[in-house]
Amino acid sequence: MRFDLEWMRQHIEGDTDADTLSEALTHCGFLVETRDPSGDSEIWDVEATTNRPDVMCHRGLAREAALAVGARLEALDTTVEESGEPSEGLASIEIRDPDLCSRYVGRVLRGVRLVESPEWLKERLERCGVRPINAVVDATNYVLLETGQPLHAFDLDRLEGRTIVVRRAEKGEVLTTLDGEDRKLESNDLVIADRNRPVALAGVMGGTDSEIGEETTDVLLESAHFEALAVRRTARRLGMHTEASHRFERGADPEMTPVAVDLAARLIAQLTGATVCPGRIDVRPRPWQAQEMTFSVSGVSRFAGLEIDGDDIVRILEALEFRPSRDGDTLTCVPPSFRGDIERVSDLYEEVIRHIGYDAVPAVLPTLRTPPGRRHPNWELVDRGRRAAVGCGLTEAVTYAFIDPQVDARLESWPLSPGPSVPLSNPLAETQGTMRRSLIPGLLAAARENLNQGEVDVALFEEGRVFSNPEGDCYEEPEHLAVVLAGGGLALPGRDAVDFLELKGVVAALLRDVTFPEVAWQRGGGPWLDETEGAVLVDGDRRIVGIAGRLGDDEAGRWGFKQPVYVAELMLQAAAIEPALPRFEALPRFPAVWVDITVEHGTDLSYAGLEAAVRELSDRLVTSVSLVGRFTGKALGPGRVRTTLRLVYRHPERSMTQEEVNAAQDRLRAALVERIDVTI
Amino acid sequence: MGVARLDEVRAAFLADIESAGGDLEAVEKIRVRYAGRRSGLLLDLTAALRELPNEEKRDYGRALNELKKLVADQLEAAKDGACRGRAAGPQVDVTLPGLTLPKGAQHPVHLVRQRIEEIFLRMGYDVEDGPEIEDDRHNFEALNIPPDHPARDDQDTFYVSGGRLLRTHTSPVQARVMEQRKPPIRIIVPGKVYRRDSDLRHSPMFHQIEGLLVDEGVTFGNLKATLETFLHALFSEHGVDVRFRPSYFPFTEPSAEVDITCIFCGGSGCGVCSRSGWIEILGSGMVDPRVFEGVGVDADRYTGFAFGLGLDRVAMLLYGIPDLRQLFVGYQRLTRQFA
Repeated sequence: MRFDLEWMRQHIEGDTDADTLSEALTHCGFLVETRDPSGDSEIWDVEATTNRPDVMCHRGLAREAALAVGARLEALDTTVEESGEPSEGLASIEIRDPDLCSRYVGRVLRGVRLVESPEWLKERLERCGVRPINAVVDATNYVLLETGQPLHAFDLDRLEGRTIVVRRAEKGEVLTTLDGEDRKLESNDLVIADRNRPVALAGVMGGTDSEIGEETTDVLLESAHFEALAVRRTARRLGMHTEASHRFERGADPEMTPVAVDLAARLIAQLTGATVCPGRIDVRPRPWQAQEMTFSVSGVSRFAGLEIDGDDIVRILEALEFRPSRDGDTLTCVPPSFRGDIERVSDLYEEVIRHIGYDAVPAVLPTLRTPPGRRHPNWELVDRGRRAAVGCGLTEAVTYAFIDPQVDARLESWPLSPGPSVPLSNPLAETQGTMRRSLIPGLLAAARENLNQGEVDVALFEEGRVFSNPEGDCYEEPEHLAVVLAGGGLALPGRDAVDFLELKGVVAALLRDVTFPEVAWQRGGGPWLDETEGAVLVDGDRRIVGIAGRLGDDEAGRWGFKQPVYVAELMLQAAAIEPALPRFEALPRFPAVWVDITVEHGTDLSYAGLEAAVRELSDRLVTSVSLVGRFTGKALGPGRVRTTLRLVYRHPERSMTQEEVNAAQDRLRAALVERIDVTI
Repeated sequence: MGVARLDEVRAAFLADIESAGGDLEAVEKIRVRYAGRRSGLLLDLTAALRELPNEEKRDYGRALNELKKLVADQLEAAKDGACRGRAAGPQVDVTLPGLTLPKGAQHPVHLVRQRIEEIFLRMGYDVEDGPEIEDDRHNFEALNIPPDHPARDDQDTFYVSGGRLLRTHTSPVQARVMEQRKPPIRIIVPGKVYRRDSDLRHSPMFHQIEGLLVDEGVTFGNLKATLETFLHALFSEHGVDVRFRPSYFPFTEPSAEVDITCIFCGGSGCGVCSRSGWIEILGSGMVDPRVFEGVGVDADRYTGFAFGLGLDRVAMLLYGIPDLRQLFVGYQRLTRQFA
């Protein structure tokens, strides 16, 4: 909030310099964010937190500043010269809904002329960001900025029956507010009405029908206290935010109402030559009640971790107008009407520690009474995923968790989709309208962005949650890990473009390092993946735990990719939460013998099928079976392939002879030909 | 014609390869001459097969195949040798670049998270986790932010169906942990949070880390010492001073905004710190007794402190990243700077 430095200083006794004030305010909780010179003063932007409406005015901030620099707050002169008929006889005020309005104070001024305000006043308003209008309105704004009490000036002659009625609106009533908008009212809105119709939105804005103008002579000044919730609801519903509503919503000072109305009346009289009619009309159905609070010097000292002097506490509470008294360790005080935020002892502790100064409290580490810290298993899991991906050479992307609903709709039959989608009720943009059900759209956008930036090799991963709403109040947000390889992919030496086996190598490493169970690679993964180069990963219970493959041409076209793009996504919850501890295996004492075998077979026999058969049918001394190479070609004819496998034989207790191995190989060949459709 | 011709071609080919001496361009010319797809010598030799009498075909064919294999192998080896020649030869040029192996990188936000986790794990804190789709009770009400509280204005919220929302801070996890566990409690909670806000300094999705300590006799002095220790460790390369300023949060009282000396100007004042010499780094305070009551912790017996900070903001400060939103595009070049 903006303050005029000289205006605030006027409320502080003595002559404290600006730097000292600024520093002191920052230290007691009111950060002076910026200071800009303006004429013979400065404009200060000071952070006033929502719990402290009492400092949203010059006098309130001055109270804190005075205490912080050890000065006194100037007394407030509220005298006002009165003459003529008493206010009571000129207007009447009735509060019909005292639950929403605890006090309404009015004053009548006669002989008001609509003049311009003097320069000094206009300057002060402008420094605070308020536009000068005319002397009457400016005076009410001035007193608002000085005391925090919102005020309103009605043209008394335009109030039917010269009457104010504070009541809830009737549904369907319409009020034209000062900004020219027609406001349709609801029965929960609190209004100021005359005998017949609403003339102002209580605590928010006045209406045009009772606005003061050139022909105005008699003015009724309103200084009232409206309930925070009522003002807040109406202002929010109508999308309005005014200086008045800002303060009422946060809680105004009910006891400031008579003071502010006097200050404003005196100022208007001074500026326009009006006379102030004697007396105030003060309707007060629910008087403010002071609450006494008790706490102890030792209590606040213990809480702070610092021995605090009881006299210091009294001095602080005195200056904050809490009327403290002390009896040994016991302190009693009565928080003032402008401190609605003080409700319990911890609120008092805050006041004391704040003004003793946070710097005065010695820093002492707490005693450790907990076992060594541990990370939640979910964090262990997702970071294991991250480390595995980084180990493969992938770079991490973090993308928004909300995606375009049109893209999401295409994920309906996505094999990994966790269930029905979770749309946002109030997205920032249409293209961020729903929570993601897959990490792949975000990664594809990232890949495209990198390619557009001129990158040739894209190798990204993302770890994060996907979201679904299977039913009613049940929301799921499982952790996924996804990969995109585009263009040159990992840019492995000697390779120009990414292909399926590069992706599979990455995925296999992730599965191993994140400790997934054994999975089978099966053709699938449509519609996003290409039919000929897509796979779903299936665990032992036949659940799909991942997908991997080349982005299908349709989808690649939609994203505008010209390069080959490969993607994979894994459901991390399928991995072991806490991987088993590895067990030592004795190193081999005798040399291995390896030997290759080449078989020819149809492409309908998958590599996995062939390897499984070889493992099953080979000698028990075979410790590993691995692929050496595959050959296809015209010589073999269409649909035929030749596969070379390497078998490693090792006997645990002695060296093996070539003859033994040859014999084992012969048996294997015979068995293979007999059992599966291969030629050797 | 016949097998003799094949021998001639073989000799000529081997001589050519020899003379190419590992020059890639020369090898390519040889390849075109012998094995070119349109006019290579091998094509002629293959075509010649048909002209031969049947009894010669078998030997010729076998020899031709051998020759073809030899040509292919030699060409391959020559190319290979030409490439390797960069490093091979009598003396390796050790200034040549080595092979580029793939190198991955974690996102700076997660690097910062892990850095912070390490500091607090050493101080005995658990690292906790919780849902990103939250209910109103844990995100607001349990933290002393009732439905019409003005503090809700500062945290413009994304809603999903059924009154659920995307958590606006990591604090709901505090409430969840306190509901389930008895003090003493020492936790930190990192994670994604969401607010309806997007400009240079705000992203609708960002990351926070939250801390909570609840025990008997916890003092404001404990909070100060813990956060000072933490910030000195986090910014150990910069050597910062720490300042505590009174502030307001609905869930703590008293509350403290914590500043560090500006790491860009060292505290003398610059554009980043608005000439103040200080940078706001985290919010903290003693847990408001109302929060304890709301989650069933005995407020007469226990006190505690809580704090929270933006991971993205720390990453930006630590590494000097100017624009928050650049962090969430997925730029490889950006992330790889921090590997």
